[in-house]
Amino acid sequence: MNTSVQYLLKRLGIYTIAGWAAVTLNFFIPRMMPGDPVSVMFASFRGKLKPEAIEALKQTFGFTDEPLLNKYINYLSHLLKGDLGISTAYFPEKVSSIILSGLGWTLLLVGISLIISFVIGSLIGMIIAWKRDGKLDSILPPSFSFISSFPYFFTAMLLLYFLGFKLGWFPIRHAYNSDLIPGFNIEFIVSCLHHALLPASTLIFMGIGGWMLQMRNNMIGTISTDYISFAKSKGLSQKRIMIWYAAKNAILPIITSFGMAIGFILNGTILTEIIFSYPGQGYILFQAVQAQDFQLMQGIFLTITLSVLAANWLIDILVLILDPRTRK
Amino acid sequence: MKLIFKYIPYAIVGIFAFQQCADSTTKKNYKGLVVSQEQQASWIRNFNPLTPGGSARWPTAAGIYEPLMIYNSMKGKYIPWLAVKHEWNVRNDILILDIRKDVSWSDSQPFSGKDVLFTFNLLKEFPAFDIRALWSYLESVKLLNEYEVEFTFSSIYVPGLDAIVGQTIVPEHIWSKVEDPIKFTNPDPVGTGPYTEILKFQNQVWELGKNPNYWQPGKPKVEKLTFPAFPTNVQATYALINGEVDWAGNFIPAIDRIFVDKNPENHHYWFPRSGGSIFLYPNTTKKHLNNKAFRKAISYSIDRELIAKVAMYDYTVPADITALSEGMSRWRENKKRNENWNKFNRDKAISLLDSLKYSFSKDKTSYDNNELAFEIIVVSGWSDWIRAAQIISRNLKAIGINASVRTYDFGTWFSKLQTGDFDLAIAWAEKGNTPYNLYRGLMSQKLVKPIDETSSLNWHRYGNAEIDVLCQQYEKTSDPKLIKNIIFKMQDIFIENLPAIPLFSEPSWGEYNTSRFTNFPNEQNPYAQLSPNNVPENLLVLIELEPVK
Repeated sequence: MNTSVQYLLKRLGIYTIAGWAAVTLNFFIPRMMPGDPVSVMFASFRGKLKPEAIEALKQTFGFTDEPLLNKYINYLSHLLKGDLGISTAYFPEKVSSIILSGLGWTLLLVGISLIISFVIGSLIGMIIAWKRDGKLDSILPPSFSFISSFPYFFTAMLLLYFLGFKLGWFPIRHAYNSDLIPGFNIEFIVSCLHHALLPASTLIFMGIGGWMLQMRNNMIGTISTDYISFAKSKGLSQKRIMIWYAAKNAILPIITSFGMAIGFILNGTILTEIIFSYPGQGYILFQAVQAQDFQLMQGIFLTITLSVLAANWLIDILVLILDPRTRK
Repeated sequence: MKLIFKYIPYAIVGIFAFQQCADSTTKKNYKGLVVSQEQQASWIRNFNPLTPGGSARWPTAAGIYEPLMIYNSMKGKYIPWLAVKHEWNVRNDILILDIRKDVSWSDSQPFSGKDVLFTFNLLKEFPAFDIRALWSYLESVKLLNEYEVEFTFSSIYVPGLDAIVGQTIVPEHIWSKVEDPIKFTNPDPVGTGPYTEILKFQNQVWELGKNPNYWQPGKPKVEKLTFPAFPTNVQATYALINGEVDWAGNFIPAIDRIFVDKNPENHHYWFPRSGGSIFLYPNTTKKHLNNKAFRKAISYSIDRELIAKVAMYDYTVPADITALSEGMSRWRENKKRNENWNKFNRDKAISLLDSLKYSFSKDKTSYDNNELAFEIIVVSGWSDWIRAAQIISRNLKAIGINASVRTYDFGTWFSKLQTGDFDLAIAWAEKGNTPYNLYRGLMSQKLVKPIDETSSLNWHRYGNAEIDVLCQQYEKTSDPKLIKNIIFKMQDIFIENLPAIPLFSEPSWGEYNTSRFTNFPNEQNPYAQLSPNNVPENLLVLIELEPVK
């Protein structure tokens, strides 16, 4: 067990370095974009704002001509104190409170849909691999690859238009009914679920195929191993072999990619949230990039980075528990 | 597998249960007037009317708070608001404003000239608030008595009136206690405007109730305003079509088919062409483009009718030769002119090029054996302008000039424009209450900066000394006749030199639904601009709206 703790600490160290590298890139890359937040804001008025306002805006945001390195050191020291700075696009709101207003909704939407698509995808993958050459195995993989090869925004807008706008089955915007006051009661929770259903199902539909194929391929590899043949000849029940002998081993590599997927999905929700007017942080990120709001961009990238690193560390622990080989 | 089938009936029941909820949620019955002006995914509570950059919620600057006077662009005059009268001294360096009596703040405290004085001093203390750079020409502001404020100018600058009377006024008894007004989000505003009470503030929707102490008796007639968050134009348009929004300022393509036809009785729009003019800017530091006759040849070759029809969905008309939009048409001088370069005339363009010793062979125009090639830069995603640029590109090809369209991200595009790193660019121009701002911005020599230096105006780098003389005269006079004369002279210089090629005037977008509220301005009753995007003119509309009986 001692070696396991060592291993986990080592991983933690690697993630800390990765986190620092990400923070540094977050700081420098946005600043390499041409233009600056003040002129973008000025320009958004399309001639209605006097050019003199540029100076006033610079004063407001506290822009200085300090060297970039000083700004970077300043940024790091504020970051260590937990201060993410002030947004320019939503001036004078704190970056942290803007992120908090959206993060919960994004995690809810992404979390639920990621888990559902992972569970369903892996289950289907397991079953069709076990009964390969069956009807399901010849129908599901091609049809899901077909669905997930559509551009995401196309599918999402199509569903929004037909199921939401034309048929009125689902609300076409927002995370809950605006007449309700957020709180922990049945009506509000039902409203939240109802609003999440359409955006979540687009994410699930697009995600399921990948998990299914990955699981199916891993399963087929495991099924042909000797210990499965041995288990079969011992006369264990089919279900027991499928779940506890084949699937348990086949799922290990997929769990690792689950950690990666969290990062991709957090970015991917930008489209979901724009299309479904979902008040999450993906849309805020989009706005921040458009307005060249460096502080807000950094803050959001930081939350994404941290959540991906944290998820990966948790998965390291999970793999350690599931796979005795990693423990040695 | 059987398991899955077993649960399908439950799933179906579930969907139907949700559908039941759907009926109650999609047809929202807001009691307030639903406005869609800002596009946001979630609302941030900021009601500081002085923060620059428009990060406060609409209508903070003109709705919760109010300016001293409002320029009505439909009528072309100032409407007295918190100030009832303005008067210049003979030398035009002292301005006296009479402040309205019997106005109180929404917390029942009286409003007076003291609040006006306080606001202007706040701008002096915090230059970040002074977005109109008032204190660059003001010397002092003082109270003559409780309802008379005197502004002394350090140099004569009559156009400063626009900025002074346009200033939003904040209450001294609250703001004097605010420690850092720049970072103040003013969560519970106290204003003089018709709507001041924040009834509800959630990330998806907020509501603004009427001011119980509003100074205009019997107004406003609508109890409250509701603002649902729509992150994109598409979402806002869906809501408009569904009848969930009563008043909006969105761009909608093919609006007659998409919006009006769904409910011709109640769905209306009014797109007066009162916005600014959109120009094709030639970089006048580049060869060929520095020649006014060459610029005129380009202008002759452009089919503006086609641009208005195809690129702008027929919402606008080709630009006037004065470059003034229809909202400014009262400033156009009606006289017989020799120039008509705003008319599409390909033969004239070619003969002009011929007379300039350009040679035309194999569909290519060249000069000293060099073929002409330019790039038109546009913002990527701004589809109307991109289509306009493509039409211009084809028009120029027809006279043998190779002009390719390049799109850039907004930030890149704007920095190229400002530093003069372009051949041709489509962009907006300065707006103001008179054409002075437009002509000064397009032609003042003082504003010309060298290439590579960021310039906030005069991106095409054209300077004309006569214009600066005229500007100086304009800045020193308050005589309407003289003002008109100066503007006419500027107009002649513009038409003669064509520093930037006007294409069309921008419509101002406004839609409304009369099923629950009426008395919106429209073509028959143009008491103000319909679009809520015109701050502070939107205030004139806010107080006139009324519920359907």
